[in-house]
Amino acid sequence: MSTVQAILSGALIGGMFAVMAVGLSLTWGMLRIINLAHFGMILLGAYLTFQIATSWGIDPLLTLVVTVPLMFVLGALLQWAFDRFGVAELNSLLVSFGILIIVIQTVSNVWSADFQRMTGEVNPYATGSLSLGRLVFPAPTLLAFGTAVVLVGAAHVVLQRTFAGRALRAFEQDRSVASAFGIDHRRLSMVLAGASGATAAVAGMLFALSNALTPSTPFEWFGIVFAVVILGGIGQILGTLVAGVLVGTLSALVSVLWSPSLAPFVLFSAIILALLFRPQGLFTQGAAR
Amino acid sequence: MLEVRQLDVFHGDAQALWGVDLSIGDGEVVGVVGPNGAGKSTLVNTIAGLHRSVRGNILVDGAELTSVASHRVCEHGVATVPEGRRVFPRMSVYDNLCLGAYRKGARSEHRDALDHVYGLFPRLEERSSQYASTLSGGEQQMLAIGRALMARPRLLLMDEPSLGLAPIVVDEVFEAIEAINREGVSVLLVEQEIERALEITSRGYLLAEGRIVASGTSAELLQSPMVRSSVLGI
Amino acid sequence: MIRRGLAGFVVVFAVLAALPFVREEIGLPVFYLTLASTVLFWIAQATSWNILSGYSGYFSFGQGAFVGLGAYTTAVLTGRRGVDFFWTLPISAALGVILALAVGALAFRLRSFRGEIFALLTLAVPFILASLARVNEGIDGGQGVVVSIPEFPEQIGLFPDFLFLLNLTIATAAVAAAFAIQNSRFGWALASIRDAEDVAEGLGVATYRYKMMAIAVNGLIGSVSGSVFALQIGFVTVEGVFGLAIPLFVIVMSVLGGRSHWLGPVIGAVVIVTMQDRLADAGYEGWRLIILGAILAILVVVAPEGLQVRLQQRPWISLGAFAGVVGVLAVLRVWGEPLDWFAAGMVAAAVAALWPARRRRAVPAGAAHARAAPVETSTESLSIERPRPVLGDVVVEIDEVARLFGGVRALDGVTVGIRAGELVGLVGPNGSGKTTLVNLLSGAIAPTRGRIVVGGQDIRGLQPHRVAHIGVTRTYQIPRPFDSMTVLDNVAMAIMFGRESRSLVDARRAAGRQLDLVGLGHRGDAKPAEINLHERQLLEMARAVAAGPTVLLLDEALAGLNPVEIDQAVRVVRRIHDAGITIVIVEHLLRVVNQLATRVVVLDRGSVLADGEPQAVMRNPEVVRAYLGKHAHA
Repeated sequence: MSTVQAILSGALIGGMFAVMAVGLSLTWGMLRIINLAHFGMILLGAYLTFQIATSWGIDPLLTLVVTVPLMFVLGALLQWAFDRFGVAELNSLLVSFGILIIVIQTVSNVWSADFQRMTGEVNPYATGSLSLGRLVFPAPTLLAFGTAVVLVGAAHVVLQRTFAGRALRAFEQDRSVASAFGIDHRRLSMVLAGASGATAAVAGMLFALSNALTPSTPFEWFGIVFAVVILGGIGQILGTLVAGVLVGTLSALVSVLWSPSLAPFVLFSAIILALLFRPQGLFTQGAAR
Repeated sequence: MLEVRQLDVFHGDAQALWGVDLSIGDGEVVGVVGPNGAGKSTLVNTIAGLHRSVRGNILVDGAELTSVASHRVCEHGVATVPEGRRVFPRMSVYDNLCLGAYRKGARSEHRDALDHVYGLFPRLEERSSQYASTLSGGEQQMLAIGRALMARPRLLLMDEPSLGLAPIVVDEVFEAIEAINREGVSVLLVEQEIERALEITSRGYLLAEGRIVASGTSAELLQSPMVRSSVLGI
Repeated sequence: MIRRGLAGFVVVFAVLAALPFVREEIGLPVFYLTLASTVLFWIAQATSWNILSGYSGYFSFGQGAFVGLGAYTTAVLTGRRGVDFFWTLPISAALGVILALAVGALAFRLRSFRGEIFALLTLAVPFILASLARVNEGIDGGQGVVVSIPEFPEQIGLFPDFLFLLNLTIATAAVAAAFAIQNSRFGWALASIRDAEDVAEGLGVATYRYKMMAIAVNGLIGSVSGSVFALQIGFVTVEGVFGLAIPLFVIVMSVLGGRSHWLGPVIGAVVIVTMQDRLADAGYEGWRLIILGAILAILVVVAPEGLQVRLQQRPWISLGAFAGVVGVLAVLRVWGEPLDWFAAGMVAAAVAALWPARRRRAVPAGAAHARAAPVETSTESLSIERPRPVLGDVVVEIDEVARLFGGVRALDGVTVGIRAGELVGLVGPNGSGKTTLVNLLSGAIAPTRGRIVVGGQDIRGLQPHRVAHIGVTRTYQIPRPFDSMTVLDNVAMAIMFGRESRSLVDARRAAGRQLDLVGLGHRGDAKPAEINLHERQLLEMARAVAAGPTVLLLDEALAGLNPVEIDQAVRVVRRIHDAGITIVIVEHLLRVVNQLATRVVVLDRGSVLADGEPQAVMRNPEVVRAYLGKHAHA
């Protein structure tokens, strides 16, 4: 594969990284909760897509009809529990870590630790592609990027133009004044967490389209997702999309020029540097809050 | 329309207010003045529903507010202009104002309310797409007042609107308060600018060390030596 | 006390070390030794983690980095370079310390790091090391490294015996270290960092130094133990040593066992390893991690203090549960073997200890010591003319100081000289810059322009703990005691780390006297959560005074008090002043300031508006205007 091809593919698959990261970024930024269980929800979404598509012969994209509402409910429920027991900040990291481990082990128990992958009959997108001159773009890659743009675009519109979006932004900037104007933080948090779960379902589906699944995959996502979240600015939607493309490109570049194994090194080093020198993200104006 | 009876307010186990009694009639502008640290902001925040550690009663048109959830207090017609303005910094003027109309009763009327606010504060319309943090102190104060008005309140709680503003701007702000009151909105005005505040209020209360130590018409308070001694400590 | 404890550890070590030699005689299956070996390995790991994260509160997700470093050091040096195994141990230790200090230097320098950010930073380290190891052919190259069994003395017996002795040595050393640290100055410093780091810094605790020491210990033990781990697994792979399994285990073990005590990780390791072993043995492999995750998630919320504390609170119930379950199972003999009974007994004891207590109607702090009913203030008692103090030299020079925050000028052109023996009231309307000035004087922030000289030394750029040693301490408006220590120990802390550092025993004695000065002598054994606000304010003052300052900054020390308590607090301030300490008091309550202060400085919008005798200053027309209203129409 030529370098140009690899980089472009990397940039496009960065869309999937952005979809994975956007839910985590929003709940971290607005609710001050670092939800590691989000990775578990992506994993669950991926396996459910695999299972439903394989068992019932449904188009993988249509499995979203089941997985999205399910993950929405799970996400909202988890947030309700966090609220109810006063879990936030560092504690949220620990509790959600525990939940992630539980999810991974459960997935392993149900589906075994072997690699699972949707066959070609089940997953028509695996073999589809678009050709532009000498460049070939596999369908899953295009789908990932397209989905990311639509999702981020929709989220942006909701946040900027609707009352609910304004309420969320106000809530994040000044919680008690927002409350004085009628914003119910309990309900809002649950809706936001539910939406975050829904994005996890979508991310899982995208992942299942072009990858083999194994229960321990979430650990490989840590570097990528945290890099996207922190580089894009915690809670910044558009920044997350740009950062996703950036991380995808960077990973592809490193893999092609040196070795795929070096990608985590580069990503985590980028995270450390960003935290040290520009914790508000590469694309936000103004100083860190 | 507002009645506060024997209000005790706690911050943890520190008591901030002791047995506060006050009332505001329909259409009145009433002042609460007093030295720093007396508890004026605590009083405003408690009436606005932001403070829950409370004993006593707060009644707005007969409805008991102390048992109402924080985010539902505004549905009873109470809107706040907080101390230090506290506009949402990374939202536009337009968004800040629309947010003011978030509550169920006000949302459908938000376009009319917006016209009304722009009429009162034309400068806000000029800057409607700017981020609130880029506005000057005076403009932010107008924005905070406008935001509260978007909620179509019957009672406006104002916490030190003159803080950090130049004299001319303070004049504009106080003129706006009077205009708002003329339209029938009752106002609770908490101020450090004692003499200026008592000029536009009909009645006032003097709050010191968490207690109401004097009350009466504005004229009476202005002439009372208690005000000076409690504020200056002499 | 530490010496006696360490002697105890030597005894325990000697007894356990004898096991491999007497194993055959007493008929102990090798299996038990192997299991014990695993327990000891995890005891060492969890203990080393806890010395940093439990004691200081800085949560590390990076334990795998040290284990991996140690494992690969041994694997590569013995496997590929032919170095003798025993030499790899000190090399491992050194590398572990170097890595730890590097991480610490990065992460601890920036004090703005909240707990979660530190956790994420430490999470990154094992991933980075793993990546490097995988790529580098000389280290791993993706193939893994075989570790061969070294030669060891014949008398020891088999390889498992040898491994047991290695793990025993390291674990004993680790636990002994944790024990010694906990009861030493070092441990006290870490506890104060965990409870309220910036307060500790302001009292004279060199927080950066102690945090670096803690992470260095963490790294040292983790790496050496990792070297032995390499021996144990025989084949070192990147996933095996740098993975998240290791931090998961040590975190769960310490959370379960208890993070503030050296016994905690020991208890946690014993319980978790035994339970995991029994579950695997019974065929419940698939449940092991689920239970681990559940323990973590639930315990952090329900019983964050851990088993060690809970067992201490309910010793008999827990012991009874343990004995009961083991006894029943032993008698009935219908299920399992002794180890299973032991495990079941432990679980029973743990559940009994952790079971949420029936909620006694929460007695609000201070209800037992009801605060005095508000009474009409009588100012007579305070208006007695105080003799003019004899003023000494200038102790604090604030020279043309300005402080900007972004574009906002919080302070500008402030020049004030404070002489020994003064009691200066610092007043001014909201936003006038009082708090900024206090923060500048205590060294928490530095001036943008100008100098601040205390006792002849320019304090610009000095860490707050150095400023405390030069002679300036402060109180906080909302009292911030060290919650895990008693009232007496809170004050003892300040004495131990204050200007003249003292031993623990001396400090406790002196602390008693300080408490009497403020009237808290009878509350020495209470915890801060049990005393009321007034008492916490007094504690705040006692602690700041105990550090031995020449200048004491009181930041709104009377906030939230009723008139009777205010009078009492004022009497205490007078007593402190009479004892020879120069005081700067920031206060809203002007009637109090006017009576207490020998001099009043009025700030308004960042500049000094007036400076002089209280009565004169408060009648100054500009001051009156500042307070009553600048915009009053004539």
